[in-house]
Amino acid sequence: MVRIASWVSLLLVVVACGGTAATTQTDSTLPPVDLDAFVSALAADGRPTVVNLWASWCIPCRSEAPLLREASTRFGDRVRFVGVATEDAPSDSIAFIHEFDLTFENFGDPAGAVKAWASAPGLPVTLFVLPGGEILRRHYGVIDDQTLALGIDDIMNG
Amino acid sequence: MEFTLLAAAATAILFVWIGSKLLSSEITPDHPTDRLIGAALGGVVVGRVTALIEAGVNVLTRPGDVIIIRGGIDTGWAAVAALAIVGWSLRRDLPLALDGLAPMALFGLGGWHAGCLWRGACLGTATDLPWAVTSPGTSVGRHPVELYAAAALLAAGWSISRRPRRPWIPTGTAIAMAGAIRLATQPLRLSIMGGPVGWYLAAVIVGLLVAAVGHRVIRTRPPSPSTMEM
Repeated sequence: MVRIASWVSLLLVVVACGGTAATTQTDSTLPPVDLDAFVSALAADGRPTVVNLWASWCIPCRSEAPLLREASTRFGDRVRFVGVATEDAPSDSIAFIHEFDLTFENFGDPAGAVKAWASAPGLPVTLFVLPGGEILRRHYGVIDDQTLALGIDDIMNG
Repeated sequence: MEFTLLAAAATAILFVWIGSKLLSSEITPDHPTDRLIGAALGGVVVGRVTALIEAGVNVLTRPGDVIIIRGGIDTGWAAVAALAIVGWSLRRDLPLALDGLAPMALFGLGGWHAGCLWRGACLGTATDLPWAVTSPGTSVGRHPVELYAAAALLAAGWSISRRPRRPWIPTGTAIAMAGAIRLATQPLRLSIMGGPVGWYLAAVIVGLLVAAVGHRVIRTRPPSPSTMEM
């Protein structure tokens, strides 16, 4: 019995670490992302950029949202922060932004074009982009304080 | 995908298991690995259910969601539950058991820090020292600060396990050393939020108090036969 319980618990752990399901919407109240323009804007911006792909249904996204807000406040204009609401219901995305008081710019991407471009298997995803648009690093899954700080330091000094 | 966190947790458990094999069975409670792994699994279940409740899912009406995961695990409640389970399992002789587990707790903590290798999160502030590790994709050399912490924790655990055991002193020393090592390495870490430095300092103070009280008790009490045997 104990062994069965242990295997069930282990299965629970493994499955808990997996990806999450998505809800697809066809419109958005956030500025809709155009992939070509989005990539061009990253290349044209002279600042290092942190791109975070999130969704309101993604629980790990909720846990990292306060950290991203704090980082965007701390680095101000030195680092550009861009959020992409991915495969999310528009009203839920807006509620998410209000709930976490996200002040950095956000786009709506109901079709998941940026997610596909980033070869992301799930959400959340954080991209560290060098000035000029080259992606230095992709972080899949919830990001912690230290990893975010390291990524930002690298794109600022890379 | 959070498999890197799972790998880090597995590394911590592996280090505890290795520690339990290396240390003499006379200074550890019975079945220490079983107790710790059982507590970890119990913590996972509690953390999973808590995460579901926080996500607005009624686990009584939708029990299948416990397995069909969307919400991850609430690590805070998982840790509380795991500690409670360990405490309950050792309730008959808590001080003795805690003293026996203290070195392995440091091994496990060291393993968790060494798990940075799976997560790509070992690096700290920039340095020109010869052993600096270059951050991937850049030419910036950095302190492998999590490996410093892991090595220090393993050394601390080993040191505590080698000393004669006196009630509460290994437990207090382990708590203090865990806090002190974290404090000592904190300046080498990169951080947005700054880290809970106050909690690390509190751990040092509480650990020293526990050890001091334990030492005081030893000095004021006549030696008991069981103490003499240690």
